[in-house]
Amino acid sequence: MIKLRFLFLFSVSLSFFLLALPVRCQEIDAFPYQITQYELDNGLQVILVEDFSLPIVSVSVAYNVGSVNERPGKTGIAYLLENLMFQGSKNVGRMQHISLIHRIGGEWNAIPPEENTIFYQTVPSNQLALVLWLESDRMNSLLLTHTRVEQTKNSLIEDLEQRMNSDPYLETSLLFDRLLYPDFSYKNPISAEISDIRNLTVNDIVNFYQTYYIPNNAVLCICGHFDKVQVMEWIERYFSSIPKGEDIPIFESITQMTSKTHTRTVTNPLISAPAFQIGYRIAPPYSEDYYPLVLLEYILLKGKSCRIYKRLMGKAPIAYMLEGGIEKKKDLATFKIFVVANNEVMKDRCLKAVQSEINKLKSNLVSNEEFEKVKNMFKRDYYNQFGTSADITIFLSENYLERQDLQIIQLELSKYLSVKPIQILRAAQKYFEQENVYLDIKIK
Amino acid sequence: MKRRSLSINKTKRFLTFLIFTAILIQPVFVQDRFRKTPPKPQPIDKPDLPLIENYLFTNELSMALVREKSIPIISLGLIIHSGESSSPFELPGLALFTANMLTRGTTNLSSEEIEEKIEYIGGSSSVSIYPDYSIFTLTCLDAYLDEALALLSEMILQPGFSRQEIDNIKRSMYYDLVEKSNDPEFLAKRLLFQILFSGHEYKNIAYSEEVIKNLNRKDLQNFYTSYYHADNATLVMTGNISLAAASNKVSRHFNRWTVSNKEKKTIPAPSTHEKIKFCFLDMPMEKDATIYIGNVLTPISDADYFSFLVLNQVLGGTTNSRLFMNLREQKAYAYYAFSAVEFFNACGIFYINARVRSEVTGTAIKEIMREIEAVVDNKIPNYEIEQSKSYLIGNFPINLERQQNMLLKLSEIKAFELGDSHWNRYYDTVMSIDSDKVFSLPQKSSLLTPVVVIVGDINILIEHLKELEEINVYDKSGTLQYTIKGDENETR
Repeated sequence: MIKLRFLFLFSVSLSFFLLALPVRCQEIDAFPYQITQYELDNGLQVILVEDFSLPIVSVSVAYNVGSVNERPGKTGIAYLLENLMFQGSKNVGRMQHISLIHRIGGEWNAIPPEENTIFYQTVPSNQLALVLWLESDRMNSLLLTHTRVEQTKNSLIEDLEQRMNSDPYLETSLLFDRLLYPDFSYKNPISAEISDIRNLTVNDIVNFYQTYYIPNNAVLCICGHFDKVQVMEWIERYFSSIPKGEDIPIFESITQMTSKTHTRTVTNPLISAPAFQIGYRIAPPYSEDYYPLVLLEYILLKGKSCRIYKRLMGKAPIAYMLEGGIEKKKDLATFKIFVVANNEVMKDRCLKAVQSEINKLKSNLVSNEEFEKVKNMFKRDYYNQFGTSADITIFLSENYLERQDLQIIQLELSKYLSVKPIQILRAAQKYFEQENVYLDIKIK
Repeated sequence: MKRRSLSINKTKRFLTFLIFTAILIQPVFVQDRFRKTPPKPQPIDKPDLPLIENYLFTNELSMALVREKSIPIISLGLIIHSGESSSPFELPGLALFTANMLTRGTTNLSSEEIEEKIEYIGGSSSVSIYPDYSIFTLTCLDAYLDEALALLSEMILQPGFSRQEIDNIKRSMYYDLVEKSNDPEFLAKRLLFQILFSGHEYKNIAYSEEVIKNLNRKDLQNFYTSYYHADNATLVMTGNISLAAASNKVSRHFNRWTVSNKEKKTIPAPSTHEKIKFCFLDMPMEKDATIYIGNVLTPISDADYFSFLVLNQVLGGTTNSRLFMNLREQKAYAYYAFSAVEFFNACGIFYINARVRSEVTGTAIKEIMREIEAVVDNKIPNYEIEQSKSYLIGNFPINLERQQNMLLKLSEIKAFELGDSHWNRYYDTVMSIDSDKVFSLPQKSSLLTPVVVIVGDINILIEHLKELEEINVYDKSGTLQYTIKGDENETR
C-alpha cells in the first residue's frame, strides 16, 4: 500500500512545485492561504489549498473556453455544452452528477461561460474522491447523443425565451455591446442567437468538446479539508490517464480598441420607462491605468453612498434604476452605466447628473476621507472573494487562467491600495473624455 | 522429481505468461474498474464545529462569540428578543417598522450619514424580523470594529425617529408589499400563516399593505420603549477576535444601555388544525396553481425537532425527495414540489409548497395528500432514512461556511435558547434517528388535517376542484369572502 502510494506520488509529474507564499501578515494580506500547484503530464493544472476550519472540501474544474471562443453562426455552443456536462458521461447517468452530490448534502453549480467555464461543488470532506471521479468522467467521456443534445437545446431555448420576456431591456443591452466592443468574440453574448442554437449539430458540439474540454485547457482546484498525499494520489488515478488534447486554437486578442463613438436612439415597444446606456472603452485589465479605474468605479457607482447613486437615487430620487461598472472580457475592459427614469424629462436630468459627476472627477481630487472609504469598500469586496472554499477555488482558477501565474495575486491588493487621488483624476481625464457609446432608449 | 521439475517449469512459464499478460492488460483493466463505479466515501469523523463563547455584561446584555479566522472581516448581530409576535394585534408590522426606523437616523446622524459610515468601515448591514425576535446585522473590516460598535450603539440607543423618515419607511414598506402581492408564492404562504395562526400572536407576521397606514410615531416609540433594552438583547459576533478583546469593546459602547427588568412574555402554543380546510385566493390571469399545505406542530421537543428534519428530507426537502420525484419527475404535474419545516419558540410548522399545471390541480392535491399519508401511516424504509441523514449531516457544515451564515445560525441558537452544544450535538442526534423514531413522532398525524391554500385564476381552476367538499375563498388581505360548497351552490 505504502509502495503504491509512493509510486503514484512520484509519477505525479514534472513541473510540481510549491508556491511557498508568505505567512499571513496583518492587513495587506492578499491571499491568506498556502497554495500547492503542479501540472500533470497531460497538461492539467492542479491547485491545492488546505483549510481545516470545517470538514468540507470544494472542487472546481475550470475550462479556458466560453462564448468568446464561439464563431458566427455557432453561438450558444459554450452555454449548451455547459448544460450538457450535467447530462451524463460514460459511467455517470443523466443528471446523476447532480443527484450524487445532492444526496450527500453537497452543493454544486457552474458559472455562465463567458471567458471561462467553471464547474464547482462543495461536499463533506470524506466524499472528495467521488467528486474527482465525477469530474474526471465528464472530462474524459461526455456522452453527446442526439437525444440529449436536442433535449438540452430545447430547455436552453425555453430559458432564453423566458429571459427575453422577463427583461425588456435585454435586446437594447445586446445592441449596446455590439456598438461598444470591437469584434465578434467580445460582442457575442452568452445568451446567443436562438436560431444558432437550433441549428447546432451533435458534430458541432463534439468538436467543441474535443477542442476545449481537454486537460491541457483546464485547471483543477481543490480547497478545504483533505490529506494532501491522498488527494494527489486520487488526482493521478482519475485524471492522469485522460489523453492530452491538441493545442487549443489561439485566441486572437485585441489590445487596442477603436476610439469610434456611436450615438444611437432606439425605440423599444416592450418598455414602460425610458432609459439610457453610456459606455467607455477603458485601459486593459491589470495595466497600470486599470487599478485607478477600478477605484473610480467605486467612487461613482458602488454602494449607496457613491456619487452617482446619491445624485440619482438618494434623498430626492430622479431615477428608477441604476446599474453599471467595469466589465472585463479577456484583455479588454469597458465602463458601463445604465439608467432607467420615470419619464424623458427625468432621463435628461439623470444624464446631466451623471456627466457632471464624471466631469468633477476630471477637475477635482477626491478627498482623503472619501478615498479611504472607497479603499475600505474595495478591501471588503476583495476579501469576500474568499468567503467560502468554493469562492477560493473560483478565485484561483480564474486568476490562473487570466494571468498564468498565481504569485501575482500576492501583490494584487497592494496595487489597488497604493493608488493616489491624482491617478484617479488622470484616469478620468484620459478615459472619460467623451462617451464612446450613448444609447438613448425611448418608449414606443 | 523430473516430472515435478517439469511441472514447475510449466507452472513457472504459465505464471510468467499470466504476470506478463496481467502487466500488459493492467492499465486498461484498472482504469475501467475504477471508472465504472463511484468510489466509496472515507469514514467521517464527527465534525469539530467552532466553540461558542459567552459573556454577560453588568446591564444584562448577553454576548456570544464564534471565533473564526478565514477573512479579516467581523460580523455583528444584535438580537432583540421580541419580534413581530410582540406587535399589538391591531398593529402588525410594528416590529419591522420600528427596526427599520432605527437604521434611518439617530439624534446626530441622518440615514445618508449612517450609510456613508457603514461603507467607510467596509461594511454592510441588514434588518430581519421573525415572529420571536428581530436582528440587526452589521459587518466591518476587523480594523474598524470599534467604529462599527459605536455606530450600532448609536443606532439602537439614540434613534432619531424623524417624521420624514417615518413617511419614507411607510412608503417603502407599503410598496414592498404591493410588489410582493403579484407573487402567488408569497400570497399563498401569507394566507396559510394567516389561517394557521388565526387569533394567535404569530399571525402578526402575515399582514398586508393596508395595515401600514395605521402605524404612527407614537406606536413605534411605545414598541421601542417596551422592548429595546439590554436585558432583552444578545449581541452575537463572528470573526478573528478573542472574547476578552470583543467584550471589552462591546462594553465600552453598550454599557449605558438601560435594563427593563420586565418579565419575558411567554407566547402560548397555537392550536393545531384538526380538520382539513381548503382555502382559495383568486389571482386572475395566473395560468398555474400555487399550492401550500401545512399545519402547526405542537408541542415540539428537541428530539422531535431532529426527527422532523429527517422526515422533511424524505418527503420533500430536496429534488431527490418523494414529492419532487413523484409530482414532477414521474407524473409531470408540478414544476416543483417541496416540503419545509420551520420552528418558532411556541411551536413548529410543517408545510408543502408546489406549483402545478392548472388542469391537474385537484389530482396534484390528492397525490400530495397520498404522499403525506404514506409517511404518516407507514414506517419509512431505512435506506431513505439513511439517505436523508446523509444529506443533513453533509450539508450542515457547508451551511456554516460563510461568515454571515455562521452568524445567523448562532443567532438562532441564542434566540431559541437551543443551548451552546446544539450544533455539536447535531451530528450525534441526527445519526441516532431511525425509522422507528420518525414513525413514533406524535405530531405527525397533524399533517393529515392540514390547511390547503390554492392560489390561481378561479375561473380556470374551479372546474378542476369540483371534488372538494367546501372551498373558502379569501381576498388578498386574508378576509374570507365566500364559501363554495361541493354542490357548487355559493354561500356568502
